Amino acid sequence: MRLDQIAKNGNFRVVELDSENRCVARLMSMGLLPQQSIRLTHEAPLGDPIAIEFNGCQMSLRLTDAKAVEVEPL
Amino acid sequence: MQSSEQVLRVALIGNPNTGKTSLFNMLTGLNQQVGNYPGVTVEKKTGRWALIDGRETELIDLPGTYSLAAASLDERIAVDVLSGHAPGLPSPDLVIVVVDVENLRRNLYLASQASELGVPMVIALNCWDVAEKKGLQIDCKLLEQRLGVPVVPTVAKHGKGTTELDQAVTRAIETRPMLVCPKWPEPIEQALAELRHEFVEQRGETLRNGELQRLLFDRESAVCERLQTAPADYEPILQNTREQLYKAGYQPDAAESVLRFRFLNPLLNDILERQALAVRRSKSESIDQLLLHKVWGLLIFVGMMYVVFQSVYSWAGPAMGGIETLVEWVGNQIGGLLVGMPMIQSLVVDGIIGGVGAFLVFLPQILVLFLFISLLEETGYMARAAFLMDKLFQWCGLNGKSFVPLLSSYACAIPGIMATRTIPDKKARMITILIAPLMSCSARLPVYLLLIGAFVEPRYGPAVAGAALFAMHFVGAIAAAPLAWLLHRALGNSAARPFVMELPPYRIPQFRQTLFRMYESGREFVVQAGTVIFAMSIVIWALLYFPRPESIEQAILAEQQGDPAAAVRAVDAAYLEQSYMGRFGQFMQPVFAPAGYDWKITVGVLASFPAREVIISTLGITYALGGEVDDASKDLRGALANTRWESGPRSGQLVFNLPVALSVMVFFALCMQCGATVAIIAQELDWRWAIGSFFTITLLAWVAAVMVYQIGIRLA
Repeated sequence: MRLDQIAKNGNFRVVELDSENRCVARLMSMGLLPQQSIRLTHEAPLGDPIAIEFNGCQMSLRLTDAKAVEVEPL
Repeated sequence: MQSSEQVLRVALIGNPNTGKTSLFNMLTGLNQQVGNYPGVTVEKKTGRWALIDGRETELIDLPGTYSLAAASLDERIAVDVLSGHAPGLPSPDLVIVVVDVENLRRNLYLASQASELGVPMVIALNCWDVAEKKGLQIDCKLLEQRLGVPVVPTVAKHGKGTTELDQAVTRAIETRPMLVCPKWPEPIEQALAELRHEFVEQRGETLRNGELQRLLFDRESAVCERLQTAPADYEPILQNTREQLYKAGYQPDAAESVLRFRFLNPLLNDILERQALAVRRSKSESIDQLLLHKVWGLLIFVGMMYVVFQSVYSWAGPAMGGIETLVEWVGNQIGGLLVGMPMIQSLVVDGIIGGVGAFLVFLPQILVLFLFISLLEETGYMARAAFLMDKLFQWCGLNGKSFVPLLSSYACAIPGIMATRTIPDKKARMITILIAPLMSCSARLPVYLLLIGAFVEPRYGPAVAGAALFAMHFVGAIAAAPLAWLLHRALGNSAARPFVMELPPYRIPQFRQTLFRMYESGREFVVQAGTVIFAMSIVIWALLYFPRPESIEQAILAEQQGDPAAAVRAVDAAYLEQSYMGRFGQFMQPVFAPAGYDWKITVGVLASFPAREVIISTLGITYALGGEVDDASKDLRGALANTRWESGPRSGQLVFNLPVALSVMVFFALCMQCGATVAIIAQELDWRWAIGSFFTITLLAWVAAVMVYQIGIRLA
């Protein structure tokens, strides 16, 4: 499952990240690494971007970049 | 006076939203200097900070960043300043890393990267009060032992902990404590050694360890731009070492994050209790359930923007009126002193006081807008606004952060362009600055009112007039969209920054920070008025004043026996026609002929380039109505409606018909007739962009005006 497909407020865990995506590389340097638990907290009114919560911080990213993060349900 | 060698240099670095700027303001007070780093549009902020032992330090506020990996110019500047490679700036004696207690792990990542650049370090654990209130406990002593550098709890916004920070820095300057660095696995050490061999030993580059890491770990590292080695030379080397890393099982783009956090995690064991964190987060999150809601969130957003916009538009009104009155009063007072020297009087009163005064009138709008921007940013709502609006802007390379500056530009492009400083992405910021002048600012309103009042309302009634006025406000935005898209394509992706944005927890804004923000923006604006605008005012004045042969005045006075006031107006009109600007207008009239303009409109258009609102009084002068006309003036409306061509093929026909009026309005809706805007673009980008955008937008306005007229006369 990819991060752009998950439902709001479910608990997920990061499996794999495409670090060649610059947004993902940036999130990795903030601590979004494999095994990290992650939750989708908000979707913008037009469906994009989304807000995710991990490790106590809330970040927004666009759906095109969210595709580069592979997750699994906890 | 101390010599420059004795002044210590201390850099301040930290993640965004950590209170780094509050700390900087607290330590330096008003002793700040703001400029740009040489050759790049990254704001350079420095200030004086006197240490407890009396030594002076120059405190450098580096851009807020999550990582030193090259995502934009900001990171490069941070690396360059810390390593001593920024032109004219030797490596600092110490770096203070501002760390948000609530995001300790993430914040220490940046500290760890910075430490590899070999600069002694002190850590300021900021927002200590929030942490304490939430029951978050951090063992500072243990942290200090494990990290190897002093750790000082601070509450920057209340100035708490600054004395302790001062003491720690004073000591650390002598003891030079270094943060522990990770021990890298063998393949990475090998790759770094290879880079060191190739660049430092073979090619004589001066690169510190941390810089070699940036070259190795960052795709298209910004450090490359600084190398003396040619790209054809260094690219194969970098590619080669990155490939080696890959073969050894380390994805180069991911290796640093994975390994550095693997190093940091055990250091933080038993250091922090984090149960409390969830409580605070969920508070912000439940506020967001409302503020980011698909319906309510948008409604609240629209409401808030309405308040901001209305305030810039109307709160600033009385203060602007006050400044206008003051400028007029000063002009009259000084004018009174200069009676008998008509040229000097005109230069000082009309040129300098009038020109600089017309610019300073925008100061209240800037202060009001920055009051709101500061509140929006400090509370954390600005990031939410960008989140809500982002989708609308994605297609043309912009992001949600462009919304507030563009909306503000509807009141006035000057505060709007200054507000683009809230956009971290350089490319998005650039595009926003370049399209901001197309938003229909309040100074265009009198032109619309005059022409709609004279040509639309009498013929089609007030309902159509209102609709026309409304439509005029979208002409610029419609032209801006394709322009933004073209700029997006033309600028390429090199300057873009990945759009990941933190939604920081909601906080109560600090009065002090808000005042500071307003003061800062206001000061820069006034400096601009005193320099660029001052010089421009004199030039424009001279073009409108000279030449001024007295024979004209005498001839008219001899002719006009009756009304002395009418004679004075006729003299003014004749002088304007004679002036360089007037002659230029007549010379340029053929250029504007396809848009249906006669020479008087052309002079009005040209004379309005310094400030578009001048058109009303210029038309007043050319039609010899005296200087005191406004958009509601029946005389001016009548004069416009009844003017006929004096010569040429259309001799005797009315100059102004509906197509001409629409053409003039469209021209004013698009054209960058505002010297102040050009000057602000030059300040925020550079003069090449300012001049380039001036000509581009002027051409755009001309093409649109010609199209409107040509289509108009065929339909009429």
